[in-house]
Amino acid sequence: MKKKLSLWMLLLAVVMVVSACSGGKGGNEASPSATSSSSPSASSPSASPSAQPVEVTLAGWGASPEEQELLQQVLDEFQAKNPDVKVKYEVIADRYMDVIKTRLIGGEAPDVFYLDAFEAPALIAENVLEPLDGYVTPDFDLGDFEEPMLNAFKGTDGQIYGFPKDYSTLALFYNKKLFAEAGIDNPPATWEELLEISKKLTKRNGNQVEVYGLGQAPELARQMFMILAYGGRVVDEEGYAAFATPEAEKGLALVVDQHLVDKTAAQPTDVGAGWGGEMFGQQKAAMVIEGNWAIPFLQNTFPDLDFATAEVPTVNGKKGTMAFTVAYVMNKASKNKEAAWKLLSYLTGKEGMKTWTSKGFALPTRKSVAAELGYDKDPLRGALVAGAPYATPWQAGPTLPIVMNNFNNLFVSAYMGDMPLSEALKQAQETANKEIRNAR
Amino acid sequence: MTFRSSVWRTVLYVVLIAYACITFIPFLWALSASFKTLEEIVQGGIRIIPQHFTLENYRTIFIREPYFLRWFLNSAFIAVTVTVSNLLFNSMAGYALARIRFPGSTLMFYSVLAMIMVPGQLTIIPQYLIIKYFGWLNSYQAVIVPMAAQATYIFMMRQFFVNFPRELEEAAYIDGLRRSGVFFRVVLPLAKPALAAQTIFIFMGAWNEFLKPLMVMSEKAMFTLSIGLNTFKSNYISFWNYIMAASIIMTVPALIIYIIFNRHFVKGVTFTGIK
Amino acid sequence: MAKPRDRLKLREALAGYGFMTPAVLILGCFMLIPIGYSIFLAFHKVDLLGEVSYRFIGTANFERMADDPRLWIALRNTAKYALVVVPTQTLLALLLASILNMNLRFRYFFRAAFYLPTVTSSAVLVLIFMWIYNANGLLNKALDALGLPTYNWLGDPAVALTGIMIMNIWSTAPLFMVVFLAALQDIPDTLYEAADLDGANWWHKFWKITVPMLRPVTFYVVVMGVIGTFQLFDQSYIFSAGSGGPNNSTLTMVLLIYQYAFSVLDMGYASAIAFLLAVTIMIATLIQRYVFKEERLG
Repeated sequence: MKKKLSLWMLLLAVVMVVSACSGGKGGNEASPSATSSSSPSASSPSASPSAQPVEVTLAGWGASPEEQELLQQVLDEFQAKNPDVKVKYEVIADRYMDVIKTRLIGGEAPDVFYLDAFEAPALIAENVLEPLDGYVTPDFDLGDFEEPMLNAFKGTDGQIYGFPKDYSTLALFYNKKLFAEAGIDNPPATWEELLEISKKLTKRNGNQVEVYGLGQAPELARQMFMILAYGGRVVDEEGYAAFATPEAEKGLALVVDQHLVDKTAAQPTDVGAGWGGEMFGQQKAAMVIEGNWAIPFLQNTFPDLDFATAEVPTVNGKKGTMAFTVAYVMNKASKNKEAAWKLLSYLTGKEGMKTWTSKGFALPTRKSVAAELGYDKDPLRGALVAGAPYATPWQAGPTLPIVMNNFNNLFVSAYMGDMPLSEALKQAQETANKEIRNAR
Repeated sequence: MTFRSSVWRTVLYVVLIAYACITFIPFLWALSASFKTLEEIVQGGIRIIPQHFTLENYRTIFIREPYFLRWFLNSAFIAVTVTVSNLLFNSMAGYALARIRFPGSTLMFYSVLAMIMVPGQLTIIPQYLIIKYFGWLNSYQAVIVPMAAQATYIFMMRQFFVNFPRELEEAAYIDGLRRSGVFFRVVLPLAKPALAAQTIFIFMGAWNEFLKPLMVMSEKAMFTLSIGLNTFKSNYISFWNYIMAASIIMTVPALIIYIIFNRHFVKGVTFTGIK
Repeated sequence: MAKPRDRLKLREALAGYGFMTPAVLILGCFMLIPIGYSIFLAFHKVDLLGEVSYRFIGTANFERMADDPRLWIALRNTAKYALVVVPTQTLLALLLASILNMNLRFRYFFRAAFYLPTVTSSAVLVLIFMWIYNANGLLNKALDALGLPTYNWLGDPAVALTGIMIMNIWSTAPLFMVVFLAALQDIPDTLYEAADLDGANWWHKFWKITVPMLRPVTFYVVVMGVIGTFQLFDQSYIFSAGSGGPNNSTLTMVLLIYQYAFSVLDMGYASAIAFLLAVTIMIATLIQRYVFKEERLG
């Protein structure tokens, strides 16, 4: 017994010593820069001739193995063209914003990282991102970017804090076979038409619905443009929720009523699907409104599905859709801003963006690149690209997370018929504003 | 065995088997999903035997991912170290709180309880700052040391030691042992079931630990298995096939530890030393 | 005034401190300091990002809680959850442990099988269950086959929390089963043999011997159960993708704290809520301690 115990103690001691020693081995890069040969001021980047390459850290969230390989390819191309810069790419596996915020607080954040438009206003307001206006050179071609995407990353002071690397809008995906069976030739151009043909497309078997005309996503991220269609707003100038108005309700009622009154639309969980793409692929919905990410998913997972895309039908006579975009931003506390800018400008420049968006995982925010890759003429992606100029970016100031949370919570109740829509909107708005007021 | 008791026995077995089925089925599905293509999983339908049996998911994880072995070893090293240190430190502290009279012991006990009650979400950022202050980012000790003793199991060991019969301790005293001798030579060996329970729980906790390594490790080589396997998620789509394969890989070692240490839950020599 | 007695007391105290030292060092550094910091934050308006600032606002954070509807929803959800889950999982664990402690055939197989849920990480379990809870999934198909009503477990606010409860009981009961199993080994056989001689049956033996001997461990299981349920986070986070919906039905206290801490970066208010939570659990624990009439250090 004594021997066994002292054996454990010995093992413990050894283990502790080994871990203490290997702390150095694990690559303790306490600061992102390997050398301090770079200075934040605008001195010449190649000041010291035989300087070691400057290391720039880049962070992003996880993606499919193919996407990760593609990004690595872009990074390799960049490093080949810029031997004085080395890129260290980190993947943050989960809880991306939590980890970034924690690292920013601790002063350990990467030099360049992804930022979603939804999160951008809050982070810009915290003053942790580097304004990029001063770095832009004429050949960066600022005007080449699609306006709504670029504007999504401007601060309230008008400065640009990030450049959008890609985007996706929402388009109407429709099942050609089901359309043919119902005798419909063309995708609906107006929302009224959509409601009409949904009735023809919905198939019932007794009490059970086998196919719904439309698959819906009852959340603010997807329905924001419906609110705007009749002149409603999501937030007001001070950031308070402002969607409990008749105008906003008119747009949202189209969504709720199609589900509760017409009964020609449902949400994915109602039919056992995880999201719209699954619902559409399983042919439980003849139409869904989804984004670019659905295209490779449908092509790979449901290769027999015969589908096409079209622009989202007009509501109240106006075109509208949502745009989701992500930018590369620079850490204000970065010690290698010149090198970081080189990386950032390459990734969002014409060459880097062309490689990154060449496989169709996401759409390029540069008009020239989109034209070059032919996405505007692409049979499936054309509808998405056509939406870019009039899309509403998914963002609305730093209070959007609170507003969205409360909206989603109560909108679901209205959607399920547990409470009238106007009441749900009113309650959601009141609760959201209470929270916002208390937080100030 | 009377007729009635054999009826009861049968009923018991039926209930046990039914419950075992309920326990198994989710895992059976996860296991079968790990051998399916994403296509098949997403197409709906419930089939335990995959239509197109594929090893591709595992192949992608084991082979295409160059860091897999390193992640596995990282997780194993961390889990073993944490378990060993916990066994020692928690038992010592639990014993002290249960059996030794010293000023401040009640206060310490309540502090231990209080620590269990604070939700971990709050301590993430301060712990990160402390670890950074020590310069331990991206090192093994960043994960091991904060977990080297855990309030929950100090509490558990204390409860186990509270009922320990004093006669054995007093006998050891008379034999001339001091407190530490009593602890290491008499009490601890007889606390095997409790230690086995701790081993199982702590190993499992450390093996599955996700948030702590996620925050402090940014080097891919230092990731633990739970983080590395989590990278198979994109913003919009979940790759169920990889996720399930990864889950099975994560579960197997913890299950093995359980099976090994489970044997100690046997009526052996009890505390009274009499059998 | 016997000197040897004082010396003995001193030796005892030193031994006590010595035994506590490693735990005290580790917990003190990595738990007490962060907790102290959080308590400090609870009385301030904090901005940790960018320009770090602390503004002392006294009890304003606590007063704000009265006016926060989501806080009370979260508290109600959490309490409802605890009241259902803790007794159920404790009883289930005790029952399973007692059964598995008997000399049954395939004892080890059952022990391994029952423990499977606990050995898996909660993240994986939630994912598996989300599939089972799918409107077309296993559970509904099974309910249908038995002629019972089916639900939209994932999308219907009325049942979402129940779904998490079932999942949690199923996965945590085995953990406490292991604890009870370990404790059952320490009950001397002689007690049971004596009871047998007196003609007691299984029921009597269970309630008159097993349960009282297990009191300290049961206290542990119940306290940990309460703490665990009050601190429910992982499951509701994954289930609701961080929102606490549908319609705040899966919003638990810790999820709320997390939202305030990380989504909005209002660390001060989040700390205040956490403080409230800890105090609530402490009170609940003290009540239980009284009920269990803990054996004092004697």
